[in-house]
Amino acid sequence: MPEYLALHYLYWKESEIVAKLLMDQLTKSYDNKTQAVKDFNLEVEDGEFIVFVGPSGCGKSTTLRMIAGLEDITSGTFSIDGKKMNDMEPKDRDIAMVFQNYALYPHMTVYENMAFSLKLKKMPKAEIKARVKNAAEILGLMDYLNRKPKALSGGQRQRVALGRAIVRDAKLFLMDEPLSNLDSKLRVQMRTEISKLHQRLKTTTIYVTHDQTEAMTMATRIVIMKDGVIQQVGTPKEVYDQPVNMFVAGFIGSPAMNFFPGRIEGDYFITGQTKLWIPTGALPEGQDKKEIVIGLRPEHISHTAHVDETTVSVKLDVVELMGSEYMVYGKLEDQPFVGRVEANIELEAGMVFPMAFDLEKARFFDPVTEERIK
Amino acid sequence: MRTKDFAYWLFLAPVLIALTLVVIVPMLLGVYYSFTSWNGITTGEFVGFQNYINLLQDERFLDSLWFTTKFAIVSVILINFIGLSLALIVTSRIKTSSLLRTTFFMPNLIGGLILGFIWQFIFIKVFASVGEMIGMDSLQVWLSTTETGFWGLVILMSWQMAGYIMVIYIAYLQGLPKELIEASEIDGANSFQRFRYIVFPLVAPAFTVSMFLTLSNTFKLYDQNLSLTGGGPYNSTEMVAMEIFNTAFVQNTFAYAQAKAIIFFVIVAIVALFQVYWNKRREVEL
Repeated sequence: MPEYLALHYLYWKESEIVAKLLMDQLTKSYDNKTQAVKDFNLEVEDGEFIVFVGPSGCGKSTTLRMIAGLEDITSGTFSIDGKKMNDMEPKDRDIAMVFQNYALYPHMTVYENMAFSLKLKKMPKAEIKARVKNAAEILGLMDYLNRKPKALSGGQRQRVALGRAIVRDAKLFLMDEPLSNLDSKLRVQMRTEISKLHQRLKTTTIYVTHDQTEAMTMATRIVIMKDGVIQQVGTPKEVYDQPVNMFVAGFIGSPAMNFFPGRIEGDYFITGQTKLWIPTGALPEGQDKKEIVIGLRPEHISHTAHVDETTVSVKLDVVELMGSEYMVYGKLEDQPFVGRVEANIELEAGMVFPMAFDLEKARFFDPVTEERIK
Repeated sequence: MRTKDFAYWLFLAPVLIALTLVVIVPMLLGVYYSFTSWNGITTGEFVGFQNYINLLQDERFLDSLWFTTKFAIVSVILINFIGLSLALIVTSRIKTSSLLRTTFFMPNLIGGLILGFIWQFIFIKVFASVGEMIGMDSLQVWLSTTETGFWGLVILMSWQMAGYIMVIYIAYLQGLPKELIEASEIDGANSFQRFRYIVFPLVAPAFTVSMFLTLSNTFKLYDQNLSLTGGGPYNSTEMVAMEIFNTAFVQNTFAYAQAKAIIFFVIVAIVALFQVYWNKRREVEL
């Protein structure tokens, strides 16, 4: 290959690829009865890393597969750069996809796996070689190019699957729970690698996971789904700090947010025999004498030295030492909760301990609609 | 290691005894008889390799061997081709696929002799009438020449076995991970490329099994041969199994037939084993 070509291909990835996605009232139903995805609206800007997250069966994978063209779209439109994609074959959509169990071709070597799509495009051999080598270098696969997938570890296979996607130079990357087959240590490592890869390639990516940690750490924006319906779309910080309803509040964050049902009386939150003071300004207006659910994250329930109107003595059922902090499990008026206590004191299960409930940080929810009260 | 204890042999005994009585002993006896002048009643005397020397000069035997080989090659290719095609059809998203599966498999449920007679009627009567109607002379007097007899047998055998082989291919096709097919779709493969580069290499294990079954079945064909052409005209469509049968039970030269049978066995075994060895090398584990 002439040198100027080699140089060109060396930088081929750095070239700008614009992909703006629009999903307008996307719906998927089976047999006109069960609706897997309902009225899915989303606009994705170029270069975003969007994560679809939700419990299994929430329609996130179905949505991804509609975007890929592996499932028919029942109604609504999906377009890339203003071009309607509904009836396009997957191969004409200029997308690359990484599957949960890698889906590597077992009879092909790593090189052949990565080169396959380029070969089908009838790309010149020299260019295929340059691209595959470039991707292999990025992913640290240079030594494995002649191996078959069977002779690779899970992490390496996942890299090949990524490699197969990046050689394509596609407009859009789709990833369907790509890390769920890896052990936890490798998962964390690959997580950062995928994030780095995205920062480097800047390709618009849609990533599906059921793991809220992956969503929080990787996404530029998170789409939280439940029962085929989008609950909230926002940056990780937004969905963590400003969840729109109890589902989002409980799903995002680990350990999950604690919920306490009760009643508002003036500046106080009453649950059972317990009365907690709500700092002025924290409580939304017009809630006096109303039933309410308070959501409080574990980091806002912690140990305190002085007892006042925000503290309750609680018997600790379980104490988990995480190193720098304890996770303490107790009950407030029969409502189990998790708190976080710094590990500079000695704690053990069975102790009765004053815990501070920092209601200034609380989120308030309607007990019936489960929507957040602002 | 307690594998070689009493219980081990006890459980193995029924199979070992049965195998010895019905396979190994007759086999060894057969080998012995092939060196004698056994005529089915008296054992006769030991004649050394005389039977083997004779059969090398026996044109009728060699012709039938050659005819059988040609038949086996053409049939194996055709049966596997049709079987795989049918399997691809019924595993694609068509509504009548389970009805089609049953239909394609049906011929396999009919006995070989009956099939032979059915097809004899089709070749002789139906072909002739159709030929008359559309004015095609080539459809007349089927089975009365070596050519038409050969193709008649090939058609009959393909019709019968393709459905059976289809079932094997279906099993393997359905075992292919769906993601691989989807990945190839996204990689840009059209349906032909998908078959050529992904499906075909991955159903290689099915080839090994199907080739083995079709090879041994076509080589050993007897009943369809008997009922369709009866070996005629002039023994020109007589296959090895039938030739050996005639040598033994029509000409009453049992020892001679036994020698032929052993040669036949060796050939089939070599071909089948070589085929399995060859195909195994192409297989990949999923």
